[in-house]
Amino acid sequence: MFHSSKKANINTNMNSHHDNRGMSACVQGDSGLVLTTDPKPRLRWTVELHERFVDAVTQLGGPDKATPKTIMRVMGVKGLTLYHLKSHLQKFRLGKQPHKEFSDHHSIKDGERASALELQRNSASSSGMMARSMNEMQMEVQRRLHEQLEVQRHLQLRIEAQGKYMQTILEKACQTLVGENMANSGYKTDHVSGIKEYGHHLNFPSLQDLNLYGTDQQLELQQTMERSSSLDGFMSNNDPNICIGKKRPNSNYTSSSTGKSPIIWSEDLRLHELTGSAASCLGSQDHDPFKGDHDQIQIERGGDMDSAADMYERKPIAGGVTIDDKKFDASSKLERPSPRRPNLQAERMSPMIGGGMSRGTSPFG
Amino acid sequence: MAMIIDDDLHEFYFPDYGNTTTTTTTTTTTSASEDELCNWNDWSPLMDWEALSNGQDQDFRGLFESIMDDDNASLSQLHSSPELYQHPSPQLHEDSSPELVMINHDHEEILNNSEDTKGLRLVHLLMAAAEAMTGVNKSRDLARVILIRLKELVSPTQGTNMERLAAYFTQALQGLLEGAGSKNNNVLLSGPYNNRDEHQATDALAAFQLLQDMSPYVKFGHFTANQAILEAVANDKRVHIVDYDIMEGIQWASFMQSLVSRKDGPPSPHLRITALSRGGSGKRSITSVQETGRRLTAFAASIGQPFSFHQSKLDADESFKPSSLKLVRGEALIINCMLHLPHFSYRSPDSVVSFLSGAKTLNPRLVTLVEEEEEVGHTTDEGGFVGRFMESLHRYSALYDSLEAGFPMQGRARALVERVFLGPRIAGSLNRIYRDTERCSLGNYLSAVGFQRANISFANHCQAKLLLGLFNDGYRVEELASNKLVLGWKSRRLLSASIWTSPELDL
Repeated sequence: MFHSSKKANINTNMNSHHDNRGMSACVQGDSGLVLTTDPKPRLRWTVELHERFVDAVTQLGGPDKATPKTIMRVMGVKGLTLYHLKSHLQKFRLGKQPHKEFSDHHSIKDGERASALELQRNSASSSGMMARSMNEMQMEVQRRLHEQLEVQRHLQLRIEAQGKYMQTILEKACQTLVGENMANSGYKTDHVSGIKEYGHHLNFPSLQDLNLYGTDQQLELQQTMERSSSLDGFMSNNDPNICIGKKRPNSNYTSSSTGKSPIIWSEDLRLHELTGSAASCLGSQDHDPFKGDHDQIQIERGGDMDSAADMYERKPIAGGVTIDDKKFDASSKLERPSPRRPNLQAERMSPMIGGGMSRGTSPFG
Repeated sequence: MAMIIDDDLHEFYFPDYGNTTTTTTTTTTTSASEDELCNWNDWSPLMDWEALSNGQDQDFRGLFESIMDDDNASLSQLHSSPELYQHPSPQLHEDSSPELVMINHDHEEILNNSEDTKGLRLVHLLMAAAEAMTGVNKSRDLARVILIRLKELVSPTQGTNMERLAAYFTQALQGLLEGAGSKNNNVLLSGPYNNRDEHQATDALAAFQLLQDMSPYVKFGHFTANQAILEAVANDKRVHIVDYDIMEGIQWASFMQSLVSRKDGPPSPHLRITALSRGGSGKRSITSVQETGRRLTAFAASIGQPFSFHQSKLDADESFKPSSLKLVRGEALIINCMLHLPHFSYRSPDSVVSFLSGAKTLNPRLVTLVEEEEEVGHTTDEGGFVGRFMESLHRYSALYDSLEAGFPMQGRARALVERVFLGPRIAGSLNRIYRDTERCSLGNYLSAVGFQRANISFANHCQAKLLLGLFNDGYRVEELASNKLVLGWKSRRLLSASIWTSPELDL
């Protein structure tokens, strides 16, 4: 597939990549030969040198705009050749890309390999951190990823528990209120009538409330959502519907088809900030290792909210909650405008997650 | 015709109008015929501009002058807004000022400017009022006048964030001025904005639900504390949590669920919660402590968590006696102290201090503390009342902004939250500032009496970040001082969650 071929490209034959870009290099000339066998003294990309490189690239408008020639000129470092800059620039560019192709079709193993490769490349290009072994770093990243996944899972459950509990309070209040309402006649305030509706729409009372205060679009969406909610048994969580302070009402509501936990993990999860040292060696390639291992964490900048919904819907499966897969699939197909992947991935994910969770003692006890 | 325009107005370029019509929205243009380019009635159907402008020039001029004396804000379209508010027509208050000032809807910059300048003007007025109340040239009369002016400009349910915020601050200052500032916040609750006693409970519930959904503050406090507790009691069979202010007990629902779903390790420990209850009235909790206890017990039963609930009454002066707790040998004692969450009422610092010092004598396993975070560089005494007033203003402004950023359309929902929770908190906060109650950081206190900092785990920090990811971008979490996570909006720190342990004992 495209993905693997690209890997092959990167791995073995960097030169062809260069040629595709049609750069007039003095050193290259032919394909393949010069690069791999050239007995040039290896250049150590120290931290300072890399920083200068990054400065130059930034000055020139980013890695896509900069060319080795211009970079060389801007950096003005003696002894730096186009060859050095080309390879370094290529690595740098790859480091910047979100690698969307990965998410489309690949198995977990491929992903792991890919992430390991990214690690390698990045560590080689970002600084002279050759001392630290690849394995160590990779393991660290993996560990952190697993931990993060756990945190996510638990957070979801906790928010739901809170929501359930709130339900009990609201129900109680609703009952007393309905009783009072019979007695009194002069209820004028709008939001109180909203509370009355708690009795009718216990699944999404808060959303109902907001509808009273808020926009029409949400009202429509909420109605579609309620209709499509297939799980009455679940006391759904109030919060997440509202927690979506993003301007994407459509995609936000699609994932609520399970009725369980329509929290959308926004694309701005900023997971790259989460893994301290691991992240630093990943550079800005924060999304990739995650994608490699866990489709669950769909952090695509400006990308597809559907995949986030994907991720979220799978979580219940992984967590052992019984959701009828068929229903799940059907509803998710209905809701999502452009599914990123077939839902079969769900099954494949679960063993992975199961495996992940049983590894070692998690901090969650 | 009597042109009341100042020369300043000529600075604004209105390409479609000649000089005669540069009067912003004030209706000094006496007849529609003069405004060939603009029919005022079209702009604001609620106002009958022609009627307004007939024969009232004199009044307007007087008003203008008084307004110009009043403040030193930019003398732009602001000329228009005050006297329009002054006009007895009740419909005026329905519109927010920017609409009226919108002469030509192409000039969006002017629109925004007017909002900003109006906001700025409100801030100036508030500051002036605060100064008048306590400054060197203390003058209650002046303060009163300023507050009257402010009340005309703002409404707690309409307008921009700044306007609504200013309304509550105005009311709070009013309360201070009239000497209604007692410990009991209920007095302030019965101001003109809060006249709905019969709906209070349901309002409070709805508002709390909304607050929870719209902002991460409550969850942040609860989850951070819970995670720290979970980690601390990983291997214990009995856990005893003493909760300073249990409110509805929401925090523990989630905690119990976490206990029950622990994968590895021992089965779920027995959980005991002792909630402190206050004897006196004047608390704004939605439910009584007993009710909360019942609910938690039912919830625990529903998820299979061994649980028991106790109550411990505080003394009349809200001081805490450790002997009033029932302790069991071998249990892990946790002290949980949630203060300053947006839906909490302020507790007197003395009470909290007595609680924490009493707790210290019990050598708890862990102390979790959630409180307001002070802005760096702002000590409690800096700038006196005015300084702290302004800081409070900025803090709540950030709070309002954070709510609006997530839910720009749900103005009424936010107005409800503001009315039920934030308004009274503003009043209480100003009350304490005015009476110069030290706003000590309880974290500092804990450290001073000998508690040790406990590290915030990676998982905890990660959870906080993930939580914030569910909300608007503007929220930030930082880790300060190794045992504290601070939640902030944009650059302003608002809430901090810290964890502490007792110093190691020789057993």
